[in-house]
Amino acid sequence: MKADEASLSRLMVMAQAGNRQAYTTLLSECGHWLRSYYTRRVPPAVLEDLVQETLLALHQKLATWDSSRAFLPWLAAIARYRWVDQLRRIYRRQEDELPETLTSPDEEGAVSARISLESLFSRLPAQQAKAIELVKIEGLSVKEASGLTGQSESLIKVNVHRGIRKMATMIEKA
Amino acid sequence: MARSTDNLIAELVDGLGPVRPLRLAHGVAFVLGALVFTIAAVALVAGIRPDVESALAEPVFLLATGLFLILGLAASATVVMMGRPQVGNNHSGWVWAAAMVGLLPAAAAAVLIGDNAAATNSTSTQGFGCLLAASGSGLLSFAVLTWWLRRGAPTSPESAGLIIGIAAGSFGIFAYSFHCTAIDIVHIGLWHSTAVLVSAIIGRLAVPRLIRW
Repeated sequence: MKADEASLSRLMVMAQAGNRQAYTTLLSECGHWLRSYYTRRVPPAVLEDLVQETLLALHQKLATWDSSRAFLPWLAAIARYRWVDQLRRIYRRQEDELPETLTSPDEEGAVSARISLESLFSRLPAQQAKAIELVKIEGLSVKEASGLTGQSESLIKVNVHRGIRKMATMIEKA
Repeated sequence: MARSTDNLIAELVDGLGPVRPLRLAHGVAFVLGALVFTIAAVALVAGIRPDVESALAEPVFLLATGLFLILGLAASATVVMMGRPQVGNNHSGWVWAAAMVGLLPAAAAAVLIGDNAAATNSTSTQGFGCLLAASGSGLLSFAVLTWWLRRGAPTSPESAGLIIGIAAGSFGIFAYSFHCTAIDIVHIGLWHSTAVLVSAIIGRLAVPRLIRW
């Protein structure tokens, strides 16, 4: 079945009424849609985790959709929220090295994720984009990034902090 | 996450029961109920100002309370809608109402610049009491809106917290205005507006952690 708006809306109405067969199909189709949505946005290593987190969120927030509204914009809003949440978690992580992110062997997915990051970087001040790129993507330590860019270590930290916050805001408003 | 997505889907399907969609009308009804209850509580506990009781309210009172009511309604409606996520939703309608209310402190500042005596007429003791009572009067609206968003799925918790604070503060000062006997623009522009500002700050700081999901 093609996951079009009308079919998904019908399945959702049935799922809200407690129809388990419809719900199985709906979640499966949403899983496909979410994989496609996240492929260009996140590194392959975290893609499936994010799909599962979003399906869980969808399950917990089933009541927030009603049949008078389109289904896919609702699903996309939940997907985006989970994505922003994931970005925040990356920001909060204390380690400087890159944990399995863009160093995944799945090069195609990594390139797609990188394309998405590039579009966000292009809207950040150059110093912030550089700091995030070196520390969070290249995996350099704050000290190494400081040496390469000429920014002080504290400025590197501030730029990473501010840049990731701005990226999260851009995604929320996208 | 070790489990496969298929296993997760099977678990979620097992846990499915009939779900009643969140209705905007219910959210609006809860908020208006909280407002009516708050006005009744102010009337019972503190009493209604005489000119309102005799239906001869001052124009300044009518204008100011009207502005706070509109801001409270606009912000509350925004919060209620924020419970239902949707890409493309615009939650900025309340900003225009806030801009209108912003005229009150601007007018107060203009009066104060031109007439220092006005500042002394509007005592800080009375103003601070008004600020506290108004903030307290907004608590029920604050709680109802926060509860609503805990049921919903707000995708901008920080904005939602700020707007909840603005809505609660506006409703609080609207309700308390039925008791507050001050009619000068300095008192209203300074203290009544500050009640909304304080509530907004509290909402922005306290609410996001309560409504994250």
